[in-house]
Amino acid sequence: MKFSIIVYAAPASSQAASTALQFVKTLLHEGHDIYRLFFFSDGVHNTNRLVVAPQDEMNLPQEWHRLINNYEIDSVACVSSAIKRGIINEQEAKRHELDSSTLLDSSEIAGLGQMVDAMINSDRVVHFG
Amino acid sequence: MSTTKKPKTFTFISRSAPYGNNRPRLCLDAALATAVFEQKVNYLFMDDGVFQLLANQNADGIASKTLGNALETLELYGIDQVLVLEESLSSRHIGSEDLLFPVQLLQNSDLQSLIDSSDYVINL
Amino acid sequence: MSTLHTLNKAPSAQLLASCIKTLQKGDAIIFIEDGVYHVLEAALLESIPPKVGVYGLREDISARGLADKCEESIEVVGYRSFVELCVEHDKIVSWF
Repeated sequence: MKFSIIVYAAPASSQAASTALQFVKTLLHEGHDIYRLFFFSDGVHNTNRLVVAPQDEMNLPQEWHRLINNYEIDSVACVSSAIKRGIINEQEAKRHELDSSTLLDSSEIAGLGQMVDAMINSDRVVHFG
Repeated sequence: MSTTKKPKTFTFISRSAPYGNNRPRLCLDAALATAVFEQKVNYLFMDDGVFQLLANQNADGIASKTLGNALETLELYGIDQVLVLEESLSSRHIGSEDLLFPVQLLQNSDLQSLIDSSDYVINL
Repeated sequence: MSTLHTLNKAPSAQLLASCIKTLQKGDAIIFIEDGVYHVLEAALLESIPPKVGVYGLREDISARGLADKCEESIEVVGYRSFVELCVEHDKIVSWF
């Protein structure tokens, strides 16, 4: 079955992003597919490549990154949520004359239309916030 | 993006008061984006979400955009099914005359069929 | 169409009261994260309509020291069953 997952929560401040990751790992393991991961609101912090986690804690953005690459998942950070939280790709960095990009290259930045498209084209949509 | 399929029914439930957090804005933005895809959109104000509808809002003093103005775009985007849970209004001592614009009241007994008839529910 | 509801806040948030208004026969609810503290609340759980499946996520229940404190009306399930519940129901409504 085709799932899309919408994540509203940042790592490190609540459990929801971690629950979402565990849920996605399980559904892939069970043979289901992900049509799209969509990171919305504070969820975009899950796509920050500059996160450093203490050695004994999980680095959630890196965990997502590995999973997205392993399963070649389509992963999107909402543009309006992302840029106001400092999650920018190289293109946005150039446009706003910033000295660095912060987005993990496993995700792309796109508009809310990608969330609607994900819902329309998925059998199931699960929100984690 | 494929929009050629039969339209789906999306129900957005906005349950948070304005300004204290970004959930009312997220819910509205997502609904407007959905309406652009020519899907059927229901927009329900429930619980503290009904505070978004109070008339006479002015957020200039708190460095925010006044949400009430944005809510009026619901109709512009063709979302005409704007609903308010009657119980959420009455339990907060708010009458229909206190609201920004006329709304359709929904009874608790109609909630189940609203959810049942929806393909997707976005609950913020 | 049946619906799976997820709920992740403790009973003090009173989210269950809102959720219950939307529940109907054939639906299910799964408590996750802080939502699993509902396993202690017999009276609240009784207010869930009949013929609604009530589940709690095992990993969250164990993490919070609730494994031997669950009310009998709760079925404790793991992530695989959580995914399966999503498949069995037509849509998922998240309460958070």
